[in-house]
Amino acid sequence: MPTLLEIQRAFAQAIIANDKGGAAPFILANEFAPAERLDVYRNTFLSSLTNALRLCYPAVHRLVGEEFFEGAAQCFIESEPPKSAYLNLYGERFGDFLATFPPVASLPYLADVARLEWAVNGALHAADAKPLDVEAFAAAASVPPDRLVLIMHPAIALLSLDYPADAIWRAVLADDDESLSRLDASASLLWLMVERTTHGVEVTRLEEGAWRFLSALREGQSFAKAVESYADLVPILATHIAAGRFIGCREKIP
Amino acid sequence: MSPARHTSPPWPAAQDAERSPIPVHAGVGLRFPHHRLVAETQPLAAWFEVHTENYMGGGTSIAVLDVIRRDYPISLHGVGLSLGSAQGLDAEHVARVRDVVARVEPGLVSEHLSFSRVDGVYLGDLLPLPLTEEALDVVCRNVDQMQNALARRILIENPSSYLQYRHSTIPEWEFISAVAARTECGILCDVNNIYVSACNHGWDASRYIASLPRAAIEEIHLAGHAAKEIGGRTIRIDDHGSRVVEPVWALYAEALALFGAVPTLIEWDTNIPAFGVLQDEAARAERALSAQKERSRADAA
Repeated sequence: MPTLLEIQRAFAQAIIANDKGGAAPFILANEFAPAERLDVYRNTFLSSLTNALRLCYPAVHRLVGEEFFEGAAQCFIESEPPKSAYLNLYGERFGDFLATFPPVASLPYLADVARLEWAVNGALHAADAKPLDVEAFAAAASVPPDRLVLIMHPAIALLSLDYPADAIWRAVLADDDESLSRLDASASLLWLMVERTTHGVEVTRLEEGAWRFLSALREGQSFAKAVESYADLVPILATHIAAGRFIGCREKIP
Repeated sequence: MSPARHTSPPWPAAQDAERSPIPVHAGVGLRFPHHRLVAETQPLAAWFEVHTENYMGGGTSIAVLDVIRRDYPISLHGVGLSLGSAQGLDAEHVARVRDVVARVEPGLVSEHLSFSRVDGVYLGDLLPLPLTEEALDVVCRNVDQMQNALARRILIENPSSYLQYRHSTIPEWEFISAVAARTECGILCDVNNIYVSACNHGWDASRYIASLPRAAIEEIHLAGHAAKEIGGRTIRIDDHGSRVVEPVWALYAEALALFGAVPTLIEWDTNIPAFGVLQDEAARAERALSAQKERSRADAA
């Protein structure tokens, strides 16, 4: 008699890889063959995960159309099934997948639109956190600046892209065909901040220096180091703190 | 159909809540398309049940639920815990469920008798377990772990299924009853699932219901399903995409006669209709519950 784990592994193989040879012998054959019965589950597996990707990637979905999206999603799902039942976290590498997916080679900006949508999805679902207030920031002054590390709000993402994905994303989701047709979708380096605000998720273009300053802080660089590298940008920091983009600070032990 | 208004609290919480903090009335499964309507207009509904996985993390969804739960009792229904996994529960998922339970303070917490995870991969569906002594031990161990992690009782729901294993040795109704007896968990009796599985496997749905331990039944689910024709044969698929069918209403009446009145939920997950349609289905369940309460009172008198 097969063990429970043997059955579960064979079932996974049938569902993910559509290879039913391992599971079929464990299943009662009667009015429907085991393969037909397994197909019911494989269909649900594909449709529920395709739906998760559709929710996360609405602009990619509209750009390529339903039929193509389903096909691409199926290839992606089979190659990278989810690792967690928390499906809001599923699909992180869909942009990288599209970047090397031959059928969309003629849409070089598509992968960047997907990367932007992943960041938007992350900002939408990131944990809630209380912003750092001025008093707490003042208290942090007792920490030596070369050890002070600011903690950024989890609902902020910083990404640099090679194509104007933000403009494409906005036009597609607004159904603005006119903007879309006028849009120059050729390569142009982009520095974006994606954040959840009280009005929803906002996507802002930053200057490269301002983006690098925030990225340095996000990566846990000390306050002293960030200030030293980006002295002219320090006044912006007050704006970031006032906008609730930092939620705390810690002391880095050297 | 425009939703009926909800005035004052729908039913005093203590009135007939002897069985559970979710009132013994007909509630509705709350899905995203109705979030705003419910938060802003407080339509008539006895209680709501939501999918735990939809409220993990932060942001708008959970913030809206924070508002809704001020006006309605909430039950949390998980779909991703994989209580049947031979390799045990996903510790990260357990922690996420615990966080949602802590924030929402639900009246009931439920999950499914199924598996959906193996070797660190999530399989996106409620997959059927072989009904063996080994699987029974595994499920009981996982249910124990979950109840310990939450420090509360959970309910487990009978699944709908589209296949049976050759070497299953325990009828499903005995299996789920044994889990309840061993772990002291409750049972969420999904009447539509019993009907779907009974049709698909040639079981006697009435006998299934009659075999369940009455004291363990804390909730009932009702939903619609699809009958799919493949080459002149029919398989019933539990898609929660339509009204409850008449044979399931009849089976629900049998269940109430056996279990007494139990909190009952209308579930609808695909092709989600206007909220008024859900209220309409809940009203029908409510009439059946009232009739049962009437009978119980008459029996007691």
